[in-house]
Amino acid sequence: MADNKISKDMWERVDMSTLDKEVISRPSLTYWQDAWRRLKKNHLSMIGLFFIFILALLAILGPFFSNFTYSDQNLELSNIPPTMEIYQIDENNYVFMNKEYKLVDVTADGHVNSRLKPVEDNMIGKYRSYEIAGNEVVVDYTFAIAAKNSGDPDAKKFEVQLNGTPISVYDKVFNKTFWFGTDGLGRDLYIRVLFGARISLLIALVATLVNFFIGVLYGGVSGYAGGKIDNVMMRIVDVIATVPLLLYVILLMVIFEPGLKTIMIAIGTVYWVSMARIVRGQILSIKEQEFVLAARTLGASTWRILVRHLIPNAMGPIIVSLAMMIPSAIFTEAFLSFIGLGVNAPQASWGTLANDAVAGLRSYPYQLFFPATFISITVLAFNFLGDGLRDALDPRLRK
Amino acid sequence: MGSYIFKRIISMVVTLWFVITITFFLMHAIPGGPFTREKALPAEVLEALNEKYHLNDPLYKQYFDYLVGVATFDLGPSFKRVGVSVNDLIIAGFPVSARLGGMAVLLVMIMGIPIGIISALKQNSLIDYFVTIIATLGVAVPSFVIATLMIYVFSSKLNLLPSHGLDSWKSYIGPVVSLSGFSLAFVARLTRSSMLEVLQQDYIRTARAKGLPEFVVIGKHALKNALIPVITYMGPMIAAVLTGSFVIERIFAIPGMGKHFVESVGNRDYTVLMGITIFYAFFAIAMILIVDVAYGFIDPRIKLGE
Repeated sequence: MADNKISKDMWERVDMSTLDKEVISRPSLTYWQDAWRRLKKNHLSMIGLFFIFILALLAILGPFFSNFTYSDQNLELSNIPPTMEIYQIDENNYVFMNKEYKLVDVTADGHVNSRLKPVEDNMIGKYRSYEIAGNEVVVDYTFAIAAKNSGDPDAKKFEVQLNGTPISVYDKVFNKTFWFGTDGLGRDLYIRVLFGARISLLIALVATLVNFFIGVLYGGVSGYAGGKIDNVMMRIVDVIATVPLLLYVILLMVIFEPGLKTIMIAIGTVYWVSMARIVRGQILSIKEQEFVLAARTLGASTWRILVRHLIPNAMGPIIVSLAMMIPSAIFTEAFLSFIGLGVNAPQASWGTLANDAVAGLRSYPYQLFFPATFISITVLAFNFLGDGLRDALDPRLRK
Repeated sequence: MGSYIFKRIISMVVTLWFVITITFFLMHAIPGGPFTREKALPAEVLEALNEKYHLNDPLYKQYFDYLVGVATFDLGPSFKRVGVSVNDLIIAGFPVSARLGGMAVLLVMIMGIPIGIISALKQNSLIDYFVTIIATLGVAVPSFVIATLMIYVFSSKLNLLPSHGLDSWKSYIGPVVSLSGFSLAFVARLTRSSMLEVLQQDYIRTARAKGLPEFVVIGKHALKNALIPVITYMGPMIAAVLTGSFVIERIFAIPGMGKHFVESVGNRDYTVLMGITIFYAFFAIAMILIVDVAYGFIDPRIKLGE
C-alpha cells in the first residue's frame, strides 16, 4: 500500500492562468440592461426616442418661451407665411405683400411689425396706395383676374410701384416673428403646432396608461383565471374587437360633448382590447412554469402572483405592443379632429390644424405642411422605437 | 367546418346584437330628444313628432321595435332629413363606397404583395431600400394628408386629376390611392418580412436542390406560406379602408356612406348614425368571418372549430 503513496514530486502546480478561463469576463446583465444595450445599437430607434424626448420637452416648455399663446388672434397679420418675399422701400423700410395684395411692414431680417394702412384703397380701380416714409407705394392688381382666367400659373398678377416705377422682390427672408407663419385668424402656427404636440402626446400617454392598467390587468386576470372566466372575458373582448374601434370612439364622441376629455375617455374605453389579448396569451404560457408553482406553494396571493410574478415576465411583449399602439392612438385623435369631432376651438390639435388648412390649401400650403409633418414624424418616431424595442426585447434575436 | 361556420355565425349575431343594444341605449342616453332645437318647438308639434316616430312609447318597446326593424332590414327614418330613411341613404351611398373600397383593397393586393416579394428577393438592393423607405413613410402619413397632398399636387398644381366627385376613371385615382396608402405600405412590409423568413426555411433549400426553376420555388413553395400573415391582416385592413372612407369621401366630396356617416355625426341625426354604425359593424363582422373561413381553406395547419 505504501507504494501507492503519491510522492511530493509527482505533484505539479497547475498554471494559474488556466483558472482565468473560468472567469466570466463580461459583466452579467439583467434582461433590461441587455435590452437597453441592444436598443442603443439601433440608430433609428435612438433617433426616434430622441425626437420624442425633444418633442415632449418643446411641447411642455416651448409655450413659456414664446410671445404668443395658442389663442392670440391678430386679424391684421393673418396668413403670413414662414418665408416672405419682401420689397425694399428705402434703407430702413421693407414691406411684405400678402396674398390679398395688402402690405405689411417688416424688417430686412424678417421681423413682422404691423399691417400698413393704405392712403387710398380703390377696389374698382384695383389698386391700393400707401405712403411709407415719404414714398408713395402703389400695389396695382388689375391683372389678377386676367391672370387667373388665363389658367397660366406664372402669369403676372400684380405690380408693386415705388414712386411710379415698378420694383421687384428685394429678398426672400425667413419669418422671425412667426416661425411657422400665421393661420387665417393671425394666430402663431408654431405655438399652435406645439400645443397640438401637447395634445398628441397627452393622448399617447392616456393610451399607454389605459393599455397598461386596463389592458394588462384584464388580459392578466383572464389568462391566469382560465376556464369559464377566461372564456367569458375573452368573448367580451372578441365582441368589442370585431367592430372597428373608430366606430365606438365616434359614437362616444357624439354622446359626450366634443373635447379633449371626451377623446381621452373614448380612446380609453376601447383601446385596450388588443393589449388584453396579447397579455392573456403570454400569461397562459408563463403560468405553467415552476416559479409560479413555487410562489403559490409559498402562499403568495393570486394578486401578488399576477402582479409580481406573471406580468413582469410578460413585460417585453407588453412594451412592444404599447409602442405600436401609441401611433394608432395619435392617428385616431388626428382623424377625429380632422372630421370635426376633436378638441374645441381655440384649442389646436394636429388634426384640427390640418383641417383648418385644407380650405386655404391653394394659397397657404404651409399651414398644412407643419401639422402634417409633425404627425408623420412623430408616428414615424414611435414606429422606429417600437421596431427597435421588438428587436431588443425578443430573446430569439439575442446575440 | 360546417359546425365551425355555424358557431361563428351565432357569435356574429351575438356581436351584432351587442352593438345594436349599445348604440341604441347610448343614443337614448343623450340628454334632449332628437327634436330639441335652439328655438323650442311648440308643444303640439313636438307631441305630434314624438307620436309619429313612436318616441312616446316606453323605452323597452322602442328597443324591441328597433330590434325587429333591424332584423327585417328596416333601420327607420332619418330625423333630420324629411322623407328620407336610413335604408335610402345606405342604398344610395353603399355602392359608391363599396366600389371605392373594393378598388382600394384590390390595389393593396396587386401592388402591395408584388412590391413586398420583389423587395424580399432583392434584399439590400436599391429597390429594397426604396421600398422600405416608402413603406415606412406610408405607414406614418395619415390618409387625410395623402388626400390633401394629392389634390394640391395633381389637381391644383398640375391640373391632371379632378379634385372632387366621381365622374370619370381619373377621379377614382386620388381617393383610391389615399384610401389604400396605409394598408398598401403595411402589406408591402408584411409580405417582405414574411417572405424573407420563409426563404430561410429548409424546404426552400430542398426545392432549389431538386433543381426546380426559381419561378416555381418562389411562386409555388415560398409564396403560399409567406402570404399567410398577409391574409390575417385582411380583416383589419377592411376595417381600415372602411373607417378611412369617412375622411376620404369628405375630402373628395364623394357621396358615399362615409360622407353620410360623418354628416350625421355633425348634425346629430341619431337614427342615421345608429343605422350606419350597425351596418358598418355588420359589414366588418361579415368580412372578418369570410376572411377567417378562407384562412382555414388556405392553411391546412389551421384546424377550425377545434
